[in-house]
Amino acid sequence: MSSLQLTQEHARTSRSWESRRPNWDTLTAALKWPAIFVHRSALLLALLAMWEIAPRLELADPAFLPPLSEVLAAGWDLALNGQLYEHVGASLFRVVSGFTIAVAFIVPLGLAIGWYSRLGDTLNQLIEVLRNTAPLALLPVFILLLGIGELSKVTMVIYSCAWPLLLNTIGAVRQVDPLLIKSARTMGVSSVQLFVKVILPASLPMIFVGVRLASAAAMLVLVASEMVGAKAGLGYLIIYAQYSFLIPQMYFGIFAITTLGLVFNQALVSLERRFTRWRPASAST
Amino acid sequence: MIPKIRFDHVRKEFAVQASRGPARRFVALENVTLDVSSGEFLTLVGPSGCGKSTLVDLVGGLAKPDGGRILLDGRPVDGPARDRGIVFQQYALFPWRTATRNIEFALEVAGVGRKERRERARYHLDLVGLSAFADRYPHELSGGMKQRVAIARSLAYDPQVLLMDEPFAALDAQTRESLQSELLRIWRSTRKTIVFITHGIDEAIVLGQRVAVMTARPGRIKHVFDIPDVLHSETDDVRSLPAFGLTRHDIWSLLREEVLKAQQGQAATSDTETPPQLTRSFAESAHV
Repeated sequence: MSSLQLTQEHARTSRSWESRRPNWDTLTAALKWPAIFVHRSALLLALLAMWEIAPRLELADPAFLPPLSEVLAAGWDLALNGQLYEHVGASLFRVVSGFTIAVAFIVPLGLAIGWYSRLGDTLNQLIEVLRNTAPLALLPVFILLLGIGELSKVTMVIYSCAWPLLLNTIGAVRQVDPLLIKSARTMGVSSVQLFVKVILPASLPMIFVGVRLASAAAMLVLVASEMVGAKAGLGYLIIYAQYSFLIPQMYFGIFAITTLGLVFNQALVSLERRFTRWRPASAST
Repeated sequence: MIPKIRFDHVRKEFAVQASRGPARRFVALENVTLDVSSGEFLTLVGPSGCGKSTLVDLVGGLAKPDGGRILLDGRPVDGPARDRGIVFQQYALFPWRTATRNIEFALEVAGVGRKERRERARYHLDLVGLSAFADRYPHELSGGMKQRVAIARSLAYDPQVLLMDEPFAALDAQTRESLQSELLRIWRSTRKTIVFITHGIDEAIVLGQRVAVMTARPGRIKHVFDIPDVLHSETDDVRSLPAFGLTRHDIWSLLREEVLKAQQGQAATSDTETPPQLTRSFAESAHV
């Protein structure tokens, strides 16, 4: 065995000896994610624990604040007897259809208003007046005109989504860096090309800000309109449970609304990421 | 012979809206007359706010002169077109496009097929030495790399004239110098007509075959210097040659008068009616 082979051999054995050590590394790596989870979720977990413990220790009146486990049990019953499905389905239909219709019509309108400044001048005062009319104040009007069926609720959702969508889309078009437009013009773009290849992609991040604000507005108005006049939906579940003193069910309704909002928001966030992958990570949160 | 670009008594005015009172007009360029021949590298220096960038806008077809004419191959400039490329100081890359796709932009607009686009983008990325960064987004590139991509983008659609508006001003000294020599190399191999605007005398001498010095507002061509060939040697450190120092001094003396004039002008009109681009700092003016 030559000395070279020896050193190689030595290197190999010492390496294999070392390879046993990274167990610590893999262990800390394995603990890293739970650690991050605990670090980030500690407050939330503490809050849930308080919810469970406080009523049991009679720190809060269990009649008005039942422990979390009872709330979840009530939810489980609702799920078993099919009521939960009905309420979630009704709410989901209203919010998704209203929101989708709003995005489909309002974003193009906003693009047009932002692009054609004369159209903006014409519509500006009308927009200012309407957007400062709180949607909930119009709820009775919508019910009077459109009845208490789906139409009035979906219209409410559309109406409340419209303003954040419209204002952010208009703003998005107007804040496109003039240098990019100038640069594109020197490369001989037609106005259609300028719009499709420059204005639209440059506006996308801010349009998404509007989309997310709209989704929050949609949830708010959804619950309110379901509380006023509805025969199904999570807002109806909450208010009906309260009237009937089914307090755990009421809390579960709130819980379900939160979950629905979180899922909705998360879906939008991942959609946004898909479309704006080119942005630096810090800017796309 | 018809010059590539002819500035023929060009005049440009701007309306400035004061915060109070009526709009006033001020003259940015007056009586600018200059010929740039085909394949020439001309640099343009002048005090801040003398209308250098306005000249680029005019040749680029982004603005129209209020008097006189700008002729390109003997024909008046009528709007922007792909026979002229502009490189801006702030890169103006599209942040949602990778380096390759940025370079492809004008080709896409022109309706060039996908395969040829890719090929030409690759060729020009290679020309500016960025082949390894083809799929990076602008925010993942350094300032110097961004400007290389911008130059490649302007070259990719093969314009005859390249207009460069202080393209290296935002870069650090070292990057600037390496980009200068690369630009010279590209110019020698492509023989584009280049009009290069700068506020650095050194840069003007190193790059230009001729250096045009502009006056303070309203901008006119004060004098055009021919730069001796010895200062464009590819091998020598031209900045250390005596001819460099002499030329630099001549230009500097001429320019200093104008910078001082520009500052006095600014002091006299330092009220609201001075537009932002005219109120650049002394430090920048003094950069000459």
